[in-house]
Amino acid sequence: MSKLIKRRQFIKGFARYSLGFALAGLLGFSLKKASNKQWVWQIDPFRCTSCGRCATHCVLNPSAVKALHGYDLCGFCDLCGGYYKPGHIARDTAAENLLCPTNALDRKFVEEPYYEYKVNEELCIGCAKCVAGCTAFGNGALHLQIKHDICSNCNECAIARVCPSDAIKRVPANKAYNIKGEFV
Amino acid sequence: MNKKIKILLLFLLAAIIAVVVYDYTSTFPGKRPDSPFKYDIEESEKVDGSLISYFEVKRINLDNDDIHGFTYNNGKIYLIVDSFLQVVNTNGQELAKVALEQPAHSVSTVNGNNILVAFKDYLVLYNSKGEEIQRSDFIFENSDLTSVTVSKENIFVADAGSKQVLVFDSKLKKTGSFKGESGVSDHHGFILPSGYFSLTVNNEDELWVVNPGIHTIQHYAANGRLRRYWGKPSFGLDGFSGCCNPYFIAFLSDGSFVTSEKGLIRVKIHKPSGEFSSVVAAPAKFPGGSKAPAIAVDQYDNILLLDFDKKSIRFFEPKPDSINE
Repeated sequence: MSKLIKRRQFIKGFARYSLGFALAGLLGFSLKKASNKQWVWQIDPFRCTSCGRCATHCVLNPSAVKALHGYDLCGFCDLCGGYYKPGHIARDTAAENLLCPTNALDRKFVEEPYYEYKVNEELCIGCAKCVAGCTAFGNGALHLQIKHDICSNCNECAIARVCPSDAIKRVPANKAYNIKGEFV
Repeated sequence: MNKKIKILLLFLLAAIIAVVVYDYTSTFPGKRPDSPFKYDIEESEKVDGSLISYFEVKRINLDNDDIHGFTYNNGKIYLIVDSFLQVVNTNGQELAKVALEQPAHSVSTVNGNNILVAFKDYLVLYNSKGEEIQRSDFIFENSDLTSVTVSKENIFVADAGSKQVLVFDSKLKKTGSFKGESGVSDHHGFILPSGYFSLTVNNEDELWVVNPGIHTIQHYAANGRLRRYWGKPSFGLDGFSGCCNPYFIAFLSDGSFVTSEKGLIRVKIHKPSGEFSSVVAAPAKFPGGSKAPAIAVDQYDNILLLDFDKKSIRFFEPKPDSINE
């Protein structure tokens, strides 16, 4: 008789503790999932050296890295260092005068002597030529960034691996864009 | 047969190890090949040595957090640093230090002894002991006085906030202003993309004002009438590039312009006509820098540069075989 009670008590106890552990585990798992941050890849534009590897090392083709324009930093120059290459023949939109290899920067007259430059994302390959020119000759308004609507968010970013200035880092998804100026 | 398979397997293993080691070592920083898209800015920074007419002879390092501006007169360097007006000799020895009520932007000497300091929206005149002599009224709410210069009859102040040149008399009373709108069809008022505005008076008592948005240096009469101008946008040495160059100007004794540019930092000399003459300091003199150095010229045409990035005053003397005439 006493042996039977002990066995029943053991089964009841086992069931209670198992349920308790299961619930605690479920709670812990739910809490962990709720507090678990999503991370995405971003370029620190102030560390970027415009080396051009974002265009050649991304697993996507064309790259998920695109040039962005911080308009509030831009001088709206006629002679734009990000648009024209050194030794250009004329300040017009002829291909031989342009720095961008894919003609991804659109130049539009605003008013004398201001010109607006807009990145055509469809054409941009993230080569950073415009970024290098804008940084060297202008205010650095043009800069590179990883676009999340294109990026595959690889576990190991192929560009981050070869970035010479270690400018590509994971950032919390709730702070998804690390940009210069007020990107519009 | 077994031996052949073993040799083949060993060969394959060696090949795999070689490929892995090569891949691993070839992607070390410094060993990676350049991207075919790399834009070699260093090519634009190169200057033919024969065009460089000055060489650096001395440097005074400044032990200050914020450096705002300087001027030179008769062996003394007047510095606006932190919240002080500091006077040092050309060896860096401190001759005077005056606490200012707030950080100022620009300084000029008046009649060799008095010191005129431009704060954000007003001017204060000090004597050589640092005692206040005169003070202007507050100018405009949006004023941002970035440069001040003194002629025989007037004090000219560049106000980057209101985008105009302000004219004061010796009592610091505002007597006029102009916005550089000359009425000339191919010209324009002052365009200041980055909020810096520079002006200075040359040895002929002529006021010259930088219009950085159109890469032009303009000579105005005190009433705002445009008399002459020169300048052209260019990535080359013959002009100015970027949105806001030249950033600072000064004059040599023969009326030549000394110009300083930001972005691709360089200091050049242009003849009084505006034609390029020579280079004082090539971009290689400012590695890692981002700010254009302020310029002062002494009585021997030596050039002093206030290097905001390196926090130092750098002295340049003409080369003995200088091409600058």
